[in-house]
Amino acid sequence: MPMPMIETRTDRMLLNFGPHHPSMHGVLRLLVTLDGENIVDCEPVIGYLHRGMEKIAENRTVVQYLPYVSRWDYGAGMFNEAITVNAVEKLAGISVPKRASYLRVIMLELTRITNHLLWFGPFLADLGAQTPFLYAMREREWILDLFEAVTGMRLINNNYFRVGGVAVDLPYGWTEKCLDFCEYFLPKVDEYERLVTDNPIFRRRLEGVGAISKQDAINWGLSGPMLRACGVNWDLRKVDHYECYDDFDWEVAVYPEGDCLARYRVRMKEMRESCKIVQQAVKALPGGPFENLEAKRMLEGPKSEWNKGDYQFISKKPSANFKIPKGEAYVRVESAKGELGIYIVGDDNVCPWRWKIRPPGFVNLQVLPQLIRGMKVADMIAILGSIDIIMGEVDR
Amino acid sequence: MSFLKRVKEYVGDAFRAAKYIGQGMGVVFDHMGRRPVTVQYPFEKLIPSERFRGRIHFEFDKCIACEICVRVCPIDLPVVDWAYNPELKKKELYSYSIDFGVCIFCANCVEFCPTNCLSVTEDYELATYDRHDLNYHQVAMGRLPSKVTEDPMVTPLREFAYLPKGVIDPHDLPAGSQRAGKRPEEILAEMRAAKAAKEKEAKAAVE
Repeated sequence: MPMPMIETRTDRMLLNFGPHHPSMHGVLRLLVTLDGENIVDCEPVIGYLHRGMEKIAENRTVVQYLPYVSRWDYGAGMFNEAITVNAVEKLAGISVPKRASYLRVIMLELTRITNHLLWFGPFLADLGAQTPFLYAMREREWILDLFEAVTGMRLINNNYFRVGGVAVDLPYGWTEKCLDFCEYFLPKVDEYERLVTDNPIFRRRLEGVGAISKQDAINWGLSGPMLRACGVNWDLRKVDHYECYDDFDWEVAVYPEGDCLARYRVRMKEMRESCKIVQQAVKALPGGPFENLEAKRMLEGPKSEWNKGDYQFISKKPSANFKIPKGEAYVRVESAKGELGIYIVGDDNVCPWRWKIRPPGFVNLQVLPQLIRGMKVADMIAILGSIDIIMGEVDR
Repeated sequence: MSFLKRVKEYVGDAFRAAKYIGQGMGVVFDHMGRRPVTVQYPFEKLIPSERFRGRIHFEFDKCIACEICVRVCPIDLPVVDWAYNPELKKKELYSYSIDFGVCIFCANCVEFCPTNCLSVTEDYELATYDRHDLNYHQVAMGRLPSKVTEDPMVTPLREFAYLPKGVIDPHDLPAGSQRAGKRPEEILAEMRAAKAAKEKEAKAAVE
């Protein structure tokens, strides 16, 4: 016999979420059709942060455009700089010295850690746990200090990558502090895990929520942690063998469940793996710390082998009127959020003829309506948080 | 039986929940023994790194009005007012200004300036009541920046990258403590000493 229940039928409600809502991660607007607390449909509205980044690129030289790019994905600015210089390097066939490549990898992996920390904090705040946010910001501060020492800016506007290398070598003593950071940071990740991973409330809210199948994930074009949480072993650092990632011993974080918890696990593991890469890269840096390199150059004079190509931080400083050769290319890197790609068309001019950005957040966000249909309102926030979007790169 | 099984599951769940919440609270309570990491601005301030890109400094006499700063600026911001002087056969600079309300401090101009007449300073507190006050001309840009370390009202604190090795807290550093890493001169002296010792040894071995 069914339990007697009072019939509470209501009309469907159209709820407008955002664009100015703290849990909308920037200026995303969701038009949600609700049946009680169940989500019937959802329509994301984007474009509130559109600044015409692709069009801007078409009338800027590379040097002029570089400061702009860290504003695409402003949670992890240096990936954007990396792909910008990679696009031009590929088209112009410019090689990068080994030392510069190592410096890039160190910076990119530190950026990946900051991105995942910046994801971790607000994601837990979305789920109702405010404390981990402060812990995540505390650890992120160290990386930002390290960035400030090297590049002169903390979060964005680093303007550090250059066509052919990086802008400047490391400051004195930086490598030691970077290793210090790794040593302190790894126990902190354990601490986060102790705090939340097995917490019953956290588990109940994430396990089986927002699950997506392996095939669906591939069909939707997902990339990065979203794809790897579905059990697809696809990491461009391993697939494309770019920069010098092959020199290091690290694992791709893959979990098969495809739900929000798996995405959390992927990102937590990626922080540890990135930390491992940074440690190895700092220790194996060609030429060693900058102060040692300087000393060796002073000892052996201008003809020293330490002045040779592979120990330089840049192959040749690009001219302000650097010409992008005719041709087209698609380049991609594994950014913290997934595959960040640039399709560039050069026209033998200082400005590119076309500059198409393939942002991972934009593609990953597409799957949101499918994931939250049939879920509860509270799950919607959890699922949106687990995608890790930054509206700056979604809208460009 | 199934009732007993359900009770058992429920109790198991409750115990597990208590254990893991207790474990999480352990992390939280552990922080009672830790020092706050916050910087009490404006009484304490972090010392900006030597590469920090703050307000740009300009030296009028060094400028040759080549306008490369305008060429590399993302928005062609510097205003360079000059005229060709046929007597001197040189460009004569009349005025130079940058509007710091619009500048994004990328320092491309500083990097490409051929005469180093531009440089970055550690000034970052540029707030004004009127945005037009941020349009600095050559005299305003020529003023020296104020230093955090010389302000008697402020306790300067070092950033993470400038602390000694193994230190993460900038408070209560022992006097005279230096940043991590040696200076190249020190390493050079060590290398020379090692080289000399090795040569001496080789000489002794020969004899």
